[in-house]
Amino acid sequence: MALTGRAGLIAALGAIVVLVAPRPAYAVLGLLLVLGALVMVDLLFAGGVRPLRFRRGGERLVRLGESVAVELIVENPGRRRVRGTVRDAWPPSAGASPRHLRLDVPAGERRRLVTTLTPTRRGDREAVTVTVRSLGPLGVAARQGSHRVPWAVRVLPPFLSRKHLPAKLSKLRELEGVHPALVRGQGTEFDSLREYVVGDDVRSIDWRATARRADVVVRTWRPERDRRVLIVLDTGRTSAGRVGTSPLPLPHPGTPVSPATGAVPASAAAGWPRLDWSMDAALLLAALATRAGDRVDFLAHDRVARAWTSGASRTDSLSALVNVMAPLEAELVEADAERMVATVMSRARRRCLVVLLTDLNPAAMDQGLLPVLPQLSSRHLVLVAAVADPRVAEMAAGRGTSEAVYDAAAAEHLRGERARLTARLRRHGCEVVDATPDDLAPALADAYLALKAAGRL
Amino acid sequence: MSVRPVGVQAPPRAAGTSAPVSPTPRGLWRGGRGFVALGLAVLLVAVVTALVTGASTEGRRLDPADATLTGSKALARLLAARGVRVERVSTVEEVERLDGPDSQLLVYDTWSLSPGDLERLGKTRADRLIIGFSSALPVLAPGITARGSTSLRSREPGCALPAAAGAGSAYLGGLTFDVPGRGALGCYAGPDGPSLVRAFGPLTGPSAVTVAGDGSFMTNQRLAEDGNAALALNLAGTKPVLIWLVPGDTPAAVGSGRATPGELVPAGVIWALVQLVVALLVVALWRGRRLGPVVVERLPVVVRAAETVEGRGRLYRARRARDRASAALRAASASRLTPRLGLPGDATADEIVAAAALKSGQDAVWVRSVMYGPIPADDAGLVALAGHLDTLERQVRES
Repeated sequence: MALTGRAGLIAALGAIVVLVAPRPAYAVLGLLLVLGALVMVDLLFAGGVRPLRFRRGGERLVRLGESVAVELIVENPGRRRVRGTVRDAWPPSAGASPRHLRLDVPAGERRRLVTTLTPTRRGDREAVTVTVRSLGPLGVAARQGSHRVPWAVRVLPPFLSRKHLPAKLSKLRELEGVHPALVRGQGTEFDSLREYVVGDDVRSIDWRATARRADVVVRTWRPERDRRVLIVLDTGRTSAGRVGTSPLPLPHPGTPVSPATGAVPASAAAGWPRLDWSMDAALLLAALATRAGDRVDFLAHDRVARAWTSGASRTDSLSALVNVMAPLEAELVEADAERMVATVMSRARRRCLVVLLTDLNPAAMDQGLLPVLPQLSSRHLVLVAAVADPRVAEMAAGRGTSEAVYDAAAAEHLRGERARLTARLRRHGCEVVDATPDDLAPALADAYLALKAAGRL
Repeated sequence: MSVRPVGVQAPPRAAGTSAPVSPTPRGLWRGGRGFVALGLAVLLVAVVTALVTGASTEGRRLDPADATLTGSKALARLLAARGVRVERVSTVEEVERLDGPDSQLLVYDTWSLSPGDLERLGKTRADRLIIGFSSALPVLAPGITARGSTSLRSREPGCALPAAAGAGSAYLGGLTFDVPGRGALGCYAGPDGPSLVRAFGPLTGPSAVTVAGDGSFMTNQRLAEDGNAALALNLAGTKPVLIWLVPGDTPAAVGSGRATPGELVPAGVIWALVQLVVALLVVALWRGRRLGPVVVERLPVVVRAAETVEGRGRLYRARRARDRASAALRAASASRLTPRLGLPGDATADEIVAAAALKSGQDAVWVRSVMYGPIPADDAGLVALAGHLDTLERQVRES
């Protein structure tokens, strides 16, 4: 049950009646009875909320930063018309709008309502409840009730780095086109024979074929296909730290952004978690590797394996990857590198490129990854990719006041530790990519292409 | 810690049928009937108690109907046994009705009486027994004035008044009075005057007036001690009728003749205000009713990754750790300079100083003091050191 503003207005106007009434006390009593009677009439003749039936339809997947429409079909099997408001409640970060919908369903009919979701965060968003307030004929009181109508929308990572994909793909094609200039390496395979042109490496002349024909023939090589790339995403505590500025100008739930001032919303200033930047880079790498004919597997791990997908089919491996990444969140636990390495070893029996997306945190790495790294790099090629914090570089450049210089010293301390850690990792035979958030995805793609060009996969 | 299944996770849940989640009226009744029963029981007990006990006279000091320690029911009973008609009245009208030369008026509380009422009491012909107050003495007992106060204790009469002398020692004290001399007797004296005075004849006209400083000797608690009972009977039982004036249940209107603001406001306005309060409640119910429950959500933590670095900077600043700060800045500069100078990573200080001095064109002593000099003595020195390191790096870069 709910009252309306009209009931309040009647009660307020009643005060004037009481003022001029000859018997004011009886007038108050009488007005109360009248109001109660009106409310009872409305409650009796309002359309029933409980018998309403709901169904949902519409989209189930949405990229972060985009909007999606979810339909709600209301069916009224009762004998009275249901007129009033509906609230289709979603979690705040689902960004549901409008908050209230008008509803008018005659008896025995159905109506379609549309809620637009503009999620502000990755993950699965489940509808909470649908609440209907059915007004009575007088508009004084309303019946109210809630229904559970399950529906979930999966908010996928935005894959913003796909803007870099065309450039990297043309680089890849260039790589595949310049066969003879390519040195024969471990990861290359025989492609074809063709006539020698000036400038070709004389070492690649195939003498047997030359002998058969009257011309000098060279062998060409191309980057080996069907290599394996295993992307390992660290979802431990270090991946929760926010870095840079959020690339999506999304309002933080609860804090409306005024378009007039154009102020940067709080969430953008707070940055994006390292995890999301890493996912962005991982998606570009996966897209590139899939086009290059390699097979991409994915593992998310902190203390335990959070997600695993094996790139069985080349066509939908990217969508499977995006789907698996969507609900991942940074867990506030220390990552267990030993178990992570054990998982990788047990799942990837053949040699592959292990791309480890984590943070170059000296304290965490010293006790976590470094002791078990030789075990991993003995079978696989390891590439460690980390998001550097632009704020640290900004602080390191601070001069002028003693506060700024102390901050600069702290930033230099961290950068020095990172540099030492990078050097140690390189000594172990790892490749290291340490880039600012915006540059990580292209830098990782470049590192992959360089490895492919060198035939090291 | 919950472990989610590994592998391709389940796609969002399939749409099921809708189900109402609001409680039904029957469910509400089932859940709430215990509370309703409890409330009804409490109400019933309260009503029954109120009906059985009726109006209470408990705790009313010196009330002839009160049987508690502070009441005076015992005295009233004793008087009645001696043939005195005790009339418990609470209004001046009743006093005037019972007034006569054969009666005595007992007054012990005038706070609830208006000045007009006091005037009317002053005109009565009955004898007066006034217990323990001073403000109305000029009207009710002309000639007797209060002087001070003394402690309550058992005192000897020390006077020729038959009622007092016959009773002996009694529990008196409280107010003390000035004895107006001729026609008055003071008894039970304290240091600054008697606490019981009886005046007749010339002072008070036809009626005798007795004033006592305190009424404790008449209470149920004290009546059996000393000569209290005898004194009380001697004082109160002088006439066949005793008019015992007790304070009324409702205080009399103050300032007779002038209406209070509340009386001047028409009743309609007050009831209109009541109606507005009702309207306010209705509006509160209207605005307070949410359309559906509050939705809660588990949000991720918002931690800036740079917070640890900022914290370390603040720690340096708080401890004035110029040694560590300068070492970090110098090490960073050295690591940036060595590749530019074409030196290996494990180059010694002398090599770096020599190469940097050569490349930048600066004095080798200055370069050494910047790169490997003493720790700055103060914060200004640290800021200057950072500037010098920047200068050196720029000169090496631009040479």
